[in-house]
Amino acid sequence: MASIDSSSIPQSDDQAAWNEAYDRLRHFLESFALGDHTQVPRLALHLLEEARALHRQEPARDPVTVTMENAQKRLAEWLGGNLEVDGKNPSQVFSSGYLAFLLSKHLRATPDVLLASPLLAELRAEMRGTLLVTGPDLNISSMTPRHLDYGPMLGLARNTWHRWNVREILVAVLFWTGVYFVFYWWLSELL
Amino acid sequence: MSASLPESVIAIRRTLFVGGSALLTIGGVVLLLRGYADQQIFPADYFVIALFPLLFSQIAIGFMLALFGFFDGLRGGDPHHVMRRPWRKNEASVPLAATAIVVPVFNEEVSRVAQGIENMWRSLEKTGQIEHFDFYLCSDSSDADHWIEEECAWLHLCQKLNAFGKIFYRKRRHSINGKSGNVADFCRRWGKRYRYMIVLDADSIMTGSTMVLLTRAMEANPEVGILQTQPVQVLGQSFFRRLLQFTGSVYGKIFSQGCSLAQMSSGAYWGHNAIIRIAPFIEFCDLPILPVSESRGRHVLSHDTVEAALMQKAGYDVWVAYDEGGSWEEGPPNLSDMLKRDRRWCAGNLQHFWFLFARGIGAGNRLQIWIGLMAYLSSPIWLAFLVAGSVSAFERKRFITFSAGPEDLDSLRPTETMLLFGITLVLLFLPRLLGLASRLPQARRFGGFFRLLFSAFLETALSILMAPVLMLFHTLFVLQALLGWQIRWTTQNRSDTGLSFSHCVALYGWQSCLGLIGQSVAWYYLDTSSYWLLPIFAGWILAPVTAWVTASSALGKGLQKWGLFAIPEEMQVPPELEGLSGDDQAAAAGSLWPQALLSPYVQAIHTSMVRQRSAGSGDKPSPSLVALRERLIAEGPAALKPKEKMRVLWDVETVFWLHRELWSRPTARLHESWSRFQSESPKSSLLRNYLVGK
Repeated sequence: MASIDSSSIPQSDDQAAWNEAYDRLRHFLESFALGDHTQVPRLALHLLEEARALHRQEPARDPVTVTMENAQKRLAEWLGGNLEVDGKNPSQVFSSGYLAFLLSKHLRATPDVLLASPLLAELRAEMRGTLLVTGPDLNISSMTPRHLDYGPMLGLARNTWHRWNVREILVAVLFWTGVYFVFYWWLSELL
Repeated sequence: MSASLPESVIAIRRTLFVGGSALLTIGGVVLLLRGYADQQIFPADYFVIALFPLLFSQIAIGFMLALFGFFDGLRGGDPHHVMRRPWRKNEASVPLAATAIVVPVFNEEVSRVAQGIENMWRSLEKTGQIEHFDFYLCSDSSDADHWIEEECAWLHLCQKLNAFGKIFYRKRRHSINGKSGNVADFCRRWGKRYRYMIVLDADSIMTGSTMVLLTRAMEANPEVGILQTQPVQVLGQSFFRRLLQFTGSVYGKIFSQGCSLAQMSSGAYWGHNAIIRIAPFIEFCDLPILPVSESRGRHVLSHDTVEAALMQKAGYDVWVAYDEGGSWEEGPPNLSDMLKRDRRWCAGNLQHFWFLFARGIGAGNRLQIWIGLMAYLSSPIWLAFLVAGSVSAFERKRFITFSAGPEDLDSLRPTETMLLFGITLVLLFLPRLLGLASRLPQARRFGGFFRLLFSAFLETALSILMAPVLMLFHTLFVLQALLGWQIRWTTQNRSDTGLSFSHCVALYGWQSCLGLIGQSVAWYYLDTSSYWLLPIFAGWILAPVTAWVTASSALGKGLQKWGLFAIPEEMQVPPELEGLSGDDQAAAAGSLWPQALLSPYVQAIHTSMVRQRSAGSGDKPSPSLVALRERLIAEGPAALKPKEKMRVLWDVETVFWLHRELWSRPTARLHESWSRFQSESPKSSLLRNYLVGK
């Protein structure tokens, strides 16, 4: 069995922080849902070793931050190297790359290609071919409401409810009184 | 009215329908007045006499529609109907045209919507005509979890069905004007690419063959602007939903058939499960602003009826294809959810008052608007009628007591009154009998002859019990609408989760109190005359129990096992409905939107979709957005309000920045909930259900 380099073993003060860094990195890598579960700890340990080396240069920084920044930097380099992403900002590189990884059948079937370099030409072409179309090209139409004449009720409602006029009120009272008496007379005659 | 219909046919049908309804109403009024002969008239009687024609005319119209429908069924259908014209003989030769299937969603159950689209896609594939159809999932969801799940479900659908470039997803940043605004947004953006659109609801399902048939019908009849199918309610598990399904399946068709016979080419549009000719819809059917103040809401809430009227006004026909099948929807699972929906519909229908008198609206559309208005206005009228009738009975009784007159004067003349009562019962229940009779030849598809009869009997008893409950609520809704309270487009609950008894007591308990008090007062003042009011008071008193019992899924499933309230779609489930019931759905659980910040895949999908419409400006984020980012990290996702969550998700650079920070910051500098979300990220339900499988 190969011996382990004791210089790479963290001091007990850092133990908790490096454990946290490992856990965080493992969760992050697991979220890629790789088909081969053993690939996650392999990758995690590899990236953790890199982070420890980096941490020795900047010991004041938190191990979690160093580890995760390094992992994301490695992913950005790997995605950028395999996708044609000239002129794209980092967020575009990540979103295009992750989508390519998600949608590629080959990449999903061979999970050890994550962060592997160089990629097979076939796989690289497949990643570059991924394009997400949420909607076809716009073909703009103008849809605006037409004028609608609401008829006599509009005037009646507006005049009645928005403006009080003594003459109109009197006419209304007279009209309905007349209707009432006609109705009353009719009922009295009928019955 | 369509030029393709003979004038004489239109004239005869309208004369028969309007004349029949009017004659019945006049007959009822005359009988009522004759009942008052030789009687003392009290003030309350004037209210009774004034309100009676309004109520009785509604019963008469319903009766005439059922009679028309039954007659049409007996003679084998309307030969002038657009779906019975000569083009049907060679329908396979009618070419198809580009058609969009538009599915507007608003915080709906995403897995159910996705499964529905998948089923329709597969059904269309079987027809061999799928190249003519594209799907548009148009989201107005205001809930961040729903939005993120919709995006993942869309990608999953495209992957699973190899449908990239055929199924599209659109999320509106501002949900202006609810569903009609959502559909109008589709029309403005992509309407020109298609000749037709089939508008669905989130719970709508149509078979591929029906969609192909509708498209052919539109191609063969260029004068048709809207062709509405008759969606049948299905997939119910709760007793209430199964009750509605049964009612719709047994009685729905003769009413639709009757409406179609009376209205012909100025038929109804119900806002979904219909095909629309897009060009005239864009040109003529954008909804006008209502002539009311801003505070009362100037947007038309129930858009469908108005759109049908505007289409007709523009010279296009609107038909109801009531007999084609292959068109389904889901109903509300319980009484409370139905009332929630009715509250919205009531406000919408009352707005239609303005269109009743607008110039250029067709007579058939005015009839539709009137029926819609009276569907809710009849409730306060009925309540006022009952109160006036009771007061009149009390006054009559008191008058007899004080004047020591003959006892036969304490009620109206019995011959006329009993005749009127009998006629009313006939008008109310004969349509049900006709509907039932029309279904008897297919009794086996409803569980068998005796089960069908027994189910119809139980359904009638429950309708009698629920009618007074609906009357009171509808009266409240009418008052709310008239007082100008704002009604918003809310998500319809489609899950059969049941109601707690405490909820039922809280929501319906006041009706029980009202019923008990009313019954006591009526008994005290009216004595035996109060028996007439017993069905009303019983409905109110039992309202909490009725709501609670009917919401039960266990009871619904039990009755299904016994073959009661069965419908054909339960006896033989069509392939398009498989996997859609509540039991089949694997709903994503927990808070989902944080995965758009954590999961590399979910984040990539989200940022790719948002970026397509809003390329990052590269500007620095505003101070308020910076503060929001930090608050989200320090206080966790639960601390943000819904609008703040949406603001975060709409900004691609913020999502990316948060993704980096949430993974890189030490646990001590993150809110404790983030650790949980990080560890859950690899087994998130979004990943399991949509992206990488279980």
